[in-house]
Amino acid sequence: MKKILLLLVAAISAFGFYRQATTITVKGSDTMVILAQRWAEAYMAKQPEVTVQVTGGGSGTGISALINGTTDICNASRPMKQSEKTSLKLRYSTLGVEIKVAKDGLAVYVNESNPVKELSVQQIKDIYTMKTTNWKQVGGPDAKIILYGRENNSGTYVYFKDNVLNGEDYAPTMQSLPGTAAVVNAVSKDKFGIGYGGAAYGKGIREVMVKKDADSPAFGPTEANVKSGDYPISRFLYMYVRNRPSGAMKEYIDWILSPEGQALVSKVGYFPVR
Amino acid sequence: MRTVVPVFVALSIAAGIAAAQDTSALDLREKLEEVKGSVEGINEVLAEMKPALDALRKIKVSGYIQAQFQSGEGAGGWNGAATSGPASIGGFAGGSLPKDVASRFSVRRGRLKVAYDNDLTQYVLQIDVTQGGVGIKDAYVMVREPWMRTLSLTAGVFDRPFGFEISHSSSARETPERSRMFQTLFPGERDLGMKLEVNALEGFFSYVNLKAGLFNGTGPTANENDNAKDFIGRAGFTIPFQEINLSVDGGVSLYSGSVRSNSPIVYRKATDRDSSGANVGKYFDRQYLGADLQLFYDLPVSFLGGLSIRAEVIQGTQPATQTTNAFYSPGTTVTPLYEREFLGYYVAYIQNIGLSNQFMLKYDVFEPNANASSANVGAPGSFMNLGDIKFTTFGLGWIHHWDANVKFVAYYEMISNDKVFAGTTSNSLKPYVEDIHDNVFTFRVQYKF
Repeated sequence: MKKILLLLVAAISAFGFYRQATTITVKGSDTMVILAQRWAEAYMAKQPEVTVQVTGGGSGTGISALINGTTDICNASRPMKQSEKTSLKLRYSTLGVEIKVAKDGLAVYVNESNPVKELSVQQIKDIYTMKTTNWKQVGGPDAKIILYGRENNSGTYVYFKDNVLNGEDYAPTMQSLPGTAAVVNAVSKDKFGIGYGGAAYGKGIREVMVKKDADSPAFGPTEANVKSGDYPISRFLYMYVRNRPSGAMKEYIDWILSPEGQALVSKVGYFPVR
Repeated sequence: MRTVVPVFVALSIAAGIAAAQDTSALDLREKLEEVKGSVEGINEVLAEMKPALDALRKIKVSGYIQAQFQSGEGAGGWNGAATSGPASIGGFAGGSLPKDVASRFSVRRGRLKVAYDNDLTQYVLQIDVTQGGVGIKDAYVMVREPWMRTLSLTAGVFDRPFGFEISHSSSARETPERSRMFQTLFPGERDLGMKLEVNALEGFFSYVNLKAGLFNGTGPTANENDNAKDFIGRAGFTIPFQEINLSVDGGVSLYSGSVRSNSPIVYRKATDRDSSGANVGKYFDRQYLGADLQLFYDLPVSFLGGLSIRAEVIQGTQPATQTTNAFYSPGTTVTPLYEREFLGYYVAYIQNIGLSNQFMLKYDVFEPNANASSANVGAPGSFMNLGDIKFTTFGLGWIHHWDANVKFVAYYEMISNDKVFAGTTSNSLKPYVEDIHDNVFTFRVQYKF
């Protein structure tokens, strides 16, 4: 009996230790995927012995991958939920480590031909919950508003729902699209469309100015406005790792937070945190 | 003339090229229109499929299978020096081994869970398929209020809201089975009832969790057998110290219920026998008070990882029968009721080693009758029997997570029983005059999706 036990433990241990981390895998937020790729390319050029593999899939998908051990780093455009933290804690006995790596103004897009230049947060909420269904109600043409948004595994979807819709459900007529680029593309082709997504993707369509409430001044999602907090729909972009980072992973994260890494944040269209 | 010819030739070529360019531009435009038409067609199809896909996305199917090999120190029905009275081997390690069988392969759990998650409402059905048959594990409805999204109601068959180990899923739990006290006091873990839960998503109240409900008190599969409903509740907390990657979680739990005796005979402590006819139909207390504490800490040692220390204690009064301290259930057969004051606890240590390995130790004690020594069990004049024997289990094991779906578990439990009165004349007690040979080794493979 004891021999069997010892043999099994030895065999299982051997399986466990043969793997050595030579590659850093990064998975998660689609909003952050371009930024993550730029970081990876620049870092691999600087440190050729390190391979950084980046994939998207959404913040929820990335967090699941962190919990089930299939990624080293998770990119997320929203903070981890309590239930996700609990899952991580029960599996690895750790709270995980949250690293704020960039800041993003969540832009609201309309078609270039749309005369609506600004909206309040309440108006945006009313539009996405179908209390406002015609552009005429917010100073636009007499036409039905066509809603575009993200899929529910996206951190952008969750952030927008929690912070703009105050937790209310999206209108069932909203067309869910896989990635902010797809939202931008759809709005650019739809005269009466409206969408939301990272400011970095906001090319080819017009970003509306957003007011905190009906009486406040409107601000666009510029670096100055996001940094000052004047733009009302802004958020941090995060990286999560399971344990205190060490070795190659720590060096990579330190580099991302260095002036060199943060310079790429600005180049991609987000806002540095340092 | 010499100059006219080349000019003519050049003009002809240029005209030809222009014509060719016109033709290819025309072709390109036609092809572009064709592709555009195809893309629009695909978009229309996708738009039609989207409502169906959105509905399908709400259906979440998950499950796991635990296939295992077990080897007992003694064969099932082990009776040691006794000439009769076989003892159970492996009874708390996934079910008793058959008589004269010392090892077995089995499917310990074969779960399939289907949930329809409509955000604020949820339908959950979970079945368990093993060599023993098919059984229902969960069947409940959850409704969350839409305003604060903090309060929810759950109704049906689901985990009893008591302590930590009950709600810690068998697929995620490190040890193959729950502690002996939980298996005894909460067989099947679940019950039929309704509970309210307060669980805030943010702010101060996200660090506390309150759940309480009323239940039949008969377990997950039996019908209600009396008019009393049992209250079960837990007030839990989690205190994260993010800077040092430490979390201290815990809670206190209460079970306040009763069972109806169908017998006039009621035993209390070791020697108190009450045979009043008034005991028939009388309700007897089933009261447990529990406390649990879990500590999670990420060790600052790169080749290791997080560690967890968990402890839980339950003390209370259990109305049960002579041979077991599982709760009393009045049936058609008249069964004397044994009311015992019990104490149970465990301490577990789990150490992550890198990403894929975990080492664990667990010490688990269940004393069904805290008022008497096991040495009095079987003694002349004592009413104490099998249900009064104290057990201590020390387990150690290793887990290797092969990938995101598969894990291997090797676990060895050393089980000790307190020795009963050496001169006992009870055949069923005779094997317990010594420490029965009931250590069990389990090797398990789990696939979870």
